Amino acid sequence: MAGSEASYNALVQEHFRAPRNTPCHPAGPDVVAGEAGRESDGVRYRLTARLCGPRFDEVRFEAYGCPHAIAAASLLTEQVGGSDIAAAAQWTWQSVSCALAVPAEKRGRLLILEDALRSLIAAARSGTLDEALGRPHP
Amino acid sequence: MAIYLDYAATTPIDPRVAARMSECLGAAGEHGNPSSLHHDFGRRARKQVEVARAQVAAMVGATPDCIVWTSGATESDNLALFGAARYHANRGRHLVSVKTEHKAVLDPLKQLEREGFQVTLLKPEDSGLVTPEQLSAALRPDTILVSLMHANNEIGVLQDVGAAGAICRARGVLLHVDAAQSAGKVPIDVQAMNIDLLSITAHKLYGPKGIGALYVRRQPPVGLQPLFFGGGQELGIRSGTLPTHQIVGFGTACEVAQQDQAEDTARITRLRERLWQGIAPLGGIEINGVGAPRLCNILNLCFHDVEGESLQYGLRELAVSAGSACSSGSAEGSYVLRALGRTDQQALSSLRFSLGRFTTEQDIDFAIGEIRREVTRLRALQPRAAS
Repeated sequence: MAGSEASYNALVQEHFRAPRNTPCHPAGPDVVAGEAGRESDGVRYRLTARLCGPRFDEVRFEAYGCPHAIAAASLLTEQVGGSDIAAAAQWTWQSVSCALAVPAEKRGRLLILEDALRSLIAAARSGTLDEALGRPHP
Repeated sequence: MAIYLDYAATTPIDPRVAARMSECLGAAGEHGNPSSLHHDFGRRARKQVEVARAQVAAMVGATPDCIVWTSGATESDNLALFGAARYHANRGRHLVSVKTEHKAVLDPLKQLEREGFQVTLLKPEDSGLVTPEQLSAALRPDTILVSLMHANNEIGVLQDVGAAGAICRARGVLLHVDAAQSAGKVPIDVQAMNIDLLSITAHKLYGPKGIGALYVRRQPPVGLQPLFFGGGQELGIRSGTLPTHQIVGFGTACEVAQQDQAEDTARITRLRERLWQGIAPLGGIEINGVGAPRLCNILNLCFHDVEGESLQYGLRELAVSAGSACSSGSAEGSYVLRALGRTDQQALSSLRFSLGRFTTEQDIDFAIGEIRREVTRLRALQPRAAS
């Protein structure tokens, strides 16, 4: 039954009870954001990152979703925080699905998380390009 | 240990009921077959069965000869619908019910459609109520049966079955009422309400699971085709050896329910109000079925801006239901709430808190604390607009 202890493994329970890296950063000159999903689809993510050159210094999240969706975002922020943007671009939904034992019917929610990360990376790349060209961040 | 707030799914057995059942099951109890009237063991069991029949009948304003024992409300609903529809098929093949009925009514109606009957399902107003005008307009010359639940199992809204009974009686249409949730909690008088068939069950009123009853009007007789054939018990309407200890438990539960009804209602209403007043200040919470008369023990709430599965898991220290117990686990929102105009997400973010005879103020205060903490936490986690 949805919502019971047996529905979620220990890692999901841990991240659901104590999500890491939340809430999102306030807007700032070195902060980029990405979003994906809709509440009407059962999941929505917002990711923000503080940029440090070509690197995500810290990634934070906010989420509307089931415990698996929240745990996946929390785990993602741990996995890509501190990494190069190029390395973060290699992240896929499979990076968390096994560890969290996400049921097949919920994998679409992880794809939406992946979309949110792509949106964040696009914003970051746009920002770093602006920086290289000496333009202000969008 | 979680706090039990799921009395609409089932109730614990009242100790007074358990005591009577234990007596019945003990060495000196009534182990004889109630149909074995040629010896004392059977006659003693029969006597207890008839005492219970009178107790159940008294709770709904019926005479004892109108009570037919079944295994529970699902069987009672099936017997009423299949039994009446098949028996009266030569008079007409049109049936009327409501979209928010329990599956124990909706699924038999689907089967009757497959057998060639036509079914009209009324859409209730957003409050959950069906108006007498809606019902009148749905009746046709070939309508033989209306099935209307008294109290909705998810939102607790009470239909005006008395008004429905008057309409049906005037039009010569049978009225079946599923009173699984309301029996013992609100007064029911099958005579005054013009009810022809009434389904009740023991396990929703602090009696044992596995026993229920169907009230079948005798004057004039309704006419039912049996579902089971065998020993011819219950005047041939429902064959099968009678489970004396469960029947005794059911009868006792009905008697206790009648005795305690006023006190239970006052106390449970106060506790439900305490729960609502404790969490309403959070904001963004709506009562499903507001504006209609409701059972005192059900509070079905839609929590806006909170995802339903996370809320349910976050509140795992509270035994509550999302949708009905029979269908929870489904990824779809409750069909009852969707029929009232809730979106899928709103339906999925709704929880039914149902209180009962053994709910305490401490239980409610604990629940308030859990709900406030978890709703606040999950809302804080939600994506905000970019600042």
